[in-house]
Amino acid sequence: MTVRFDGVSFTYPGSAVPALRDLSLTLAAGEVTWLFGKLGAGSSTALLVAGGFAPILTGGERRGSVRVGGLDPGDPATRAALAGRIAYVSAQPHLQLSGLAETVFEEVAFAPANLGWSQARIREAVPQALARIGAGHLAERVPTELSGGELQRVVIAAMLVLAPEVWLLDEPASALDPGARAAAYGLFREEARRGAAVILATEDADGALEAADRIVVLEHGAVAQDGDPAAVLASDACWLLGAGSTTIGELWRAAMDRTPAMARGSVPLTLGAAVQRVTGR
Amino acid sequence: MNTRQLALIPTCIALNVAMGKVVQELGLPIYLDAVGTILVTTLLGSGAGVLTGGLSQALTALLSGQMMWLAFLPIQVLIAIVAGAAAQRGGFRTIGWAVAWGALCGLLGGILSAVISYLLFKGVTAPGVTALGALFRSLGLSLERAVTAASISTDLLDKGIAFGLVAAVLLALPARMASRFPGAVRATRRGA
Amino acid sequence: MTPGPPPSALTRAHPFTPLTATLAVVFLAFLLPAPAGPVILAVLAVASAPLLGDGGALRPTFIVVIPLWLLLFLVQGVLGDAPFTAIGPLTLSVAGAREALAQGARLTAIVVPSLLALRGFRAARFVDAAAERGWPFSAAYLVAATLQTIPRLRHRVSLIRDAQRSRGLRVRGSIVQRIRALVPLTLPLILGALADADDRAVALESRGVAAVAVPGARRTPLDPPVDRALDRSVRWGAVLAVVLAAAWRVIR
Repeated sequence: MTVRFDGVSFTYPGSAVPALRDLSLTLAAGEVTWLFGKLGAGSSTALLVAGGFAPILTGGERRGSVRVGGLDPGDPATRAALAGRIAYVSAQPHLQLSGLAETVFEEVAFAPANLGWSQARIREAVPQALARIGAGHLAERVPTELSGGELQRVVIAAMLVLAPEVWLLDEPASALDPGARAAAYGLFREEARRGAAVILATEDADGALEAADRIVVLEHGAVAQDGDPAAVLASDACWLLGAGSTTIGELWRAAMDRTPAMARGSVPLTLGAAVQRVTGR
Repeated sequence: MNTRQLALIPTCIALNVAMGKVVQELGLPIYLDAVGTILVTTLLGSGAGVLTGGLSQALTALLSGQMMWLAFLPIQVLIAIVAGAAAQRGGFRTIGWAVAWGALCGLLGGILSAVISYLLFKGVTAPGVTALGALFRSLGLSLERAVTAASISTDLLDKGIAFGLVAAVLLALPARMASRFPGAVRATRRGA
Repeated sequence: MTPGPPPSALTRAHPFTPLTATLAVVFLAFLLPAPAGPVILAVLAVASAPLLGDGGALRPTFIVVIPLWLLLFLVQGVLGDAPFTAIGPLTLSVAGAREALAQGARLTAIVVPSLLALRGFRAARFVDAAAERGWPFSAAYLVAATLQTIPRLRHRVSLIRDAQRSRGLRVRGSIVQRIRALVPLTLPLILGALADADDRAVALESRGVAAVAVPGARRTPLDPPVDRALDRSVRWGAVLAVVLAAAWRVIR
């Protein structure tokens, strides 16, 4: 499903400043789009609005049109039609538990059971989803006794099991160790290849650069930059927005101020590119 | 029931039960087992308060094994009604106002619980109240009067503090969260 | 979740059976003629715990019940009205002692099945049973989510207490000092719980709860508990006993 924002503004209740301003953006199925920006630039809000959670749960005022597969997610009448088709993962895994499950299996089965899947279908799909994120061995564990990283994988599996058409990811890998993080980004790429629209809001530039097909840089709730992740992230215009860069990119820019020779040519973003720039090979 | 109520009501029921641990840690002779009921009433209205209070009472009865506490269900309804009336009238705009509303609630609740506990148990309810009752009785009061005096003085203190605590919470809510709950804004007269 | 007893007759039973039986005992304790009825009920209840495979429930029962027995005899027996009778070194009011015996037996009769039912309660089984009967999802969710939130909040009380103590909060002292200590202990607890509930709403919404909220929609029970003939006869027997006791009470 395609996610379309058309002239969307959103203001949280009690706030004088809109979190999104006249945002127009089309996020295609089959792509990983990376929403990047300073804290408060509007990435998290864009995800909440795309999922309909804002304004339905948060309150506030939305203007303009939002369409997910042609339906307005902010319309209470479409909630049942969109249930199970939009996945949402945030940075705090313990807050995304159902509150009902006594085992990881039941936790992952929570949404399919709500959608009325048959028992046979649930028994087949749940272990597959857990295995894809490397959490198959956790199936019989108690969710509240897992570590943050294990729990985050369970939460991702709980969405994966639905084969959602849209993924809304808000810092989905922050609780994961580096190995699991790479695996999670790989999984989100696979999901895009399968045909899902994957929207990833993160400050983890190192991971997102690998995973994303497109970057959209937000500033004050509007699009500031839009294009190829490597090209946009390396640009001075993006750097001046103050959202940061990859570890290597930030290091290079810090050194550049003192070593004018480094300022010639484009800024490398990865270790490989930096080595190539320094050694010429 | 919408998803937000579905998330908030269990939290407030659990709060009612968990406050028991706070009271126990501090060794206070009160219960504070209606803080969640009062809070949910100010946020979502008296209906949610009645549901939260009723389920809390049922759960406390189950967890403590004392099913007879179910007989005090009408008190939870009373608390939700009084808290709802207080919230409507801006009764949580200062801690002092909230304590006054709480004292009113405690007075009404104390009378009601004295009637219930006398009718059903002839004076034996929670250990704290019972000990107070024995004290009043040894001072020469009749059994009925001793039970009434014990339960009203406990309830005045208990509900006064509970309402005051809820006012402290509502006044401390970050602006963004408070504005998601129109009820909280009205109860504290924020921005008025 | 609190770790429960090992698999027993109670954990195997349909989740509605122990709850129905407990409710029936509550009614019977007040309907049967006192003090004989409640006393017999209490003896049966205590004997049933080991028979049902959870004799461990008796320890917490006695912890709850014994202080109340003592208080009952103090308030009703020692401080009760004349005539008095001497039992050993004690002088007890006859009517008061009878009343204390009846109340104590009622209490015991009710506490035992409640604790047995609670120790055998499994949220997931309960929700499955409710889903199978076509209960509204929100009702089952409220019960089960609450039971899961309580231990978490209680744990958080300990964490906040330790944190505030290390910053010099005094949790002992005069009653005024202790009442003052309530605010630093409860404010972080309640504000944190409210923020969590807000996030929980988003999580539920994204996990298909909107689909079960539609009238007529049914959740799939994952592992529906078997409702055996024994379960059904226990439940009907409990209902019948209450009806008979109530009828006897009316016509007597």
